[in-house]
Amino acid sequence: MSPETIQTLKLCGIVILLAPLAGAILSGGLGPVWLKSRAHWPAIWGVGTACVCAIIVLLTVHGAGAEHPSASIPIYDWGLDAAGKAFLVDFLIDPLTAVMLVTVTFISLLVVIYSRDYMREHGHPERGYERFFAYLALFVFAMCTLVLGGNFLLLYLGWEAVGLCSYLLIGFYYGRPAAAAAAKKAFLVNRVGDFGFGLGILLIYLTFGTLEYGAVFDMVQQGVTASGVALSDGRVTAIALLLLCGACGKSAQLPLHVWLPDAMEGPSPVSALIHAATMVTAGVFMVARCGAIFASSETAMTVVASIGAVTALFAATIALVQTDMKRILAYSTISQLGYMFLGAGVFAADSAIFHLFTHAFFKALLFLGAGSVMHAMGGVIDVRRFSGLRKVLPWTFITFVVGSMALAGVPGLSGFFSKDEIIHHAFSSHWLLGTIGLVTAALTAFYTFRMVFLAFAGPVRVPEGVHAHESGGWMLLPLVVLSVGAILAGYVGVASKPFHEFLAPVFAHTFAAHGAHGHGGWTVEPTFWEEYGLMFVSGAIALAAIAVAYVLYVRQPWIPGVIRATFEGAYRTLWNKWYVDELYDAVIVSPARQLGRIAVALDDYLIDGLLWAITAVPRGLALVLRTMQGGVMQGYALSMVAGITIVLLLVYWL
Amino acid sequence: MNPLSGYIVVGAILFALGLVGFMSRRNLIVIFLSTEVMFQGVVINAVAFSRLHEHLEGQVFALFLLVIAAVEAGLALGMVVLLYRRRGTLDAEAWSLMRG
Repeated sequence: MSPETIQTLKLCGIVILLAPLAGAILSGGLGPVWLKSRAHWPAIWGVGTACVCAIIVLLTVHGAGAEHPSASIPIYDWGLDAAGKAFLVDFLIDPLTAVMLVTVTFISLLVVIYSRDYMREHGHPERGYERFFAYLALFVFAMCTLVLGGNFLLLYLGWEAVGLCSYLLIGFYYGRPAAAAAAKKAFLVNRVGDFGFGLGILLIYLTFGTLEYGAVFDMVQQGVTASGVALSDGRVTAIALLLLCGACGKSAQLPLHVWLPDAMEGPSPVSALIHAATMVTAGVFMVARCGAIFASSETAMTVVASIGAVTALFAATIALVQTDMKRILAYSTISQLGYMFLGAGVFAADSAIFHLFTHAFFKALLFLGAGSVMHAMGGVIDVRRFSGLRKVLPWTFITFVVGSMALAGVPGLSGFFSKDEIIHHAFSSHWLLGTIGLVTAALTAFYTFRMVFLAFAGPVRVPEGVHAHESGGWMLLPLVVLSVGAILAGYVGVASKPFHEFLAPVFAHTFAAHGAHGHGGWTVEPTFWEEYGLMFVSGAIALAAIAVAYVLYVRQPWIPGVIRATFEGAYRTLWNKWYVDELYDAVIVSPARQLGRIAVALDDYLIDGLLWAITAVPRGLALVLRTMQGGVMQGYALSMVAGITIVLLLVYWL
Repeated sequence: MNPLSGYIVVGAILFALGLVGFMSRRNLIVIFLSTEVMFQGVVINAVAFSRLHEHLEGQVFALFLLVIAAVEAGLALGMVVLLYRRRGTLDAEAWSLMRG
């Protein structure tokens, strides 16, 4: 890239980082005393500025062309090592960064705008209004650091900051025990993943002597370490799996998914932010970014794909029976993230990012729509307690259906193209992965429209004492914009696939070597039937699943009860989320609590007892000595005289 | 017999009287008067020894003691007045806060 372009990118990158940070500081700092009900302005302006700059970055990188896809822009050298190579503050700006930045800032901007009305009751800001916007902006700052950073250290910095912000936002209603518990859970589960992630980064530094992306990936591809020794397979696999550990935590993949559904305790815009733009996409982004490392290890790729596929199916089955709208959406997010991991694991990282991109639109839309329902229903979000909302909330209904269709993979909408692509790649890797993808797609369509039909179809029924009303313009605007996005976002990735072409330089040299594995994607042109046959099948499956949901929940509403009664055991298992929480409770939480009890007992009896024994000595002594303190002046005088007399007698005799 | 013994005996008697008074009486003013008596016993001793040794240091000490006794009398009486105001009695037993 030319120096001018790099200068532009550098400036934009700095603004993208500093604008949301400034927004956070101003919202939080000036909010309580001066801005009050206007505390959203700094956050909106900050994130908005970042969004504009992100679009400029995208256009600049796109304009630079495929010959110069990336720029590493040093900002600041911490000078921690003599060579000045290991620890830098620098940006790596390439098509992947640009796409992520635009997705993150654009969705976040809409969420922040939406929150202006959502965080109000009858036009008055809720308690903690300014705090909320400060956290939102800080979240965007953290996510942009993660995406922009040109080395693993900045990645880790953003990674942890994102975790912190999620903790703050999930626990926003810190007075509610459930919210406080959910925040702690999210933080702790993420710590488990981050521990592995941190180890992975340390291992990278030990192996390659640097944390710069470019240098590390080059060495991985050449198969050498910093000292010039050949890189062993085991070590690459170890690095990849440790990194994956972090990704599983952040992106809520199977062993560490438990925090995400509980994160619903935060306000709805937070869910939209976490599920669509920030936080959970970090894991997918990281796996895509470190494609070179993952691709060098057959084992790691298999693990990534398997975790993705299993998680996708697993979460989808749970979503079938849940009744909390936000919880259904949470499981669908886990499921869709599973698709992204599946994509990344079958050498289709660009498809994974494509799905991330489209998913951001419709998932943000769905969460904001659910928030709108919740707002109108006076905080109730259980689909059993209301129905027929299509008449009460027409705008929310239309936008929500658009989002649901995109999520369900109805042909023509964004989710269809990206999901189909991943299933396609999965099939070209292993038939089992592809089949799981298809089954999950059917389940997705079913549970999504189950939720839609339960909430919006049927006779109008709202919780008692609730005056249902459509949300105001500040909330509807993001919904409408996102619906347009949910419909159109997919078209950047079809036909001539400009999206993939744009991203290709990032992954091409990484995955090109692995084209020999017989995968489809960009290395082998699929035949007409391979491409369109599957498209037809998955589209038909989605529509069929929606039809089944229609029959079950609108036409013949008695059937679900019968099914539930017939498969009582299965229903219970799904309702209790496969008892994963109970399992963790039994295997990890309870033993930890027992350990804590033992520690408390030791502290109470052993240590305190020891201290008591030691203090008993002076205490006993004092018991004797205190009798000498009569408190009467003459007593002291008497003892003084007696003492002097004794001394004098001694002197006299000796 | 030592020419001084009379003085010393008088001083000792005064001191002992004061000491006994100090320890046996409960009225703060009387206790305080007893300390003055002890002072005078010491002063007599000091003057007597000064005369014996033909040295003026003892006299100087006596003067100092008298001054100090006067100052102490002022302070102590002031304190007695304050203590009386607090408790409404001159009984020394009323002030036994430091009992262990």
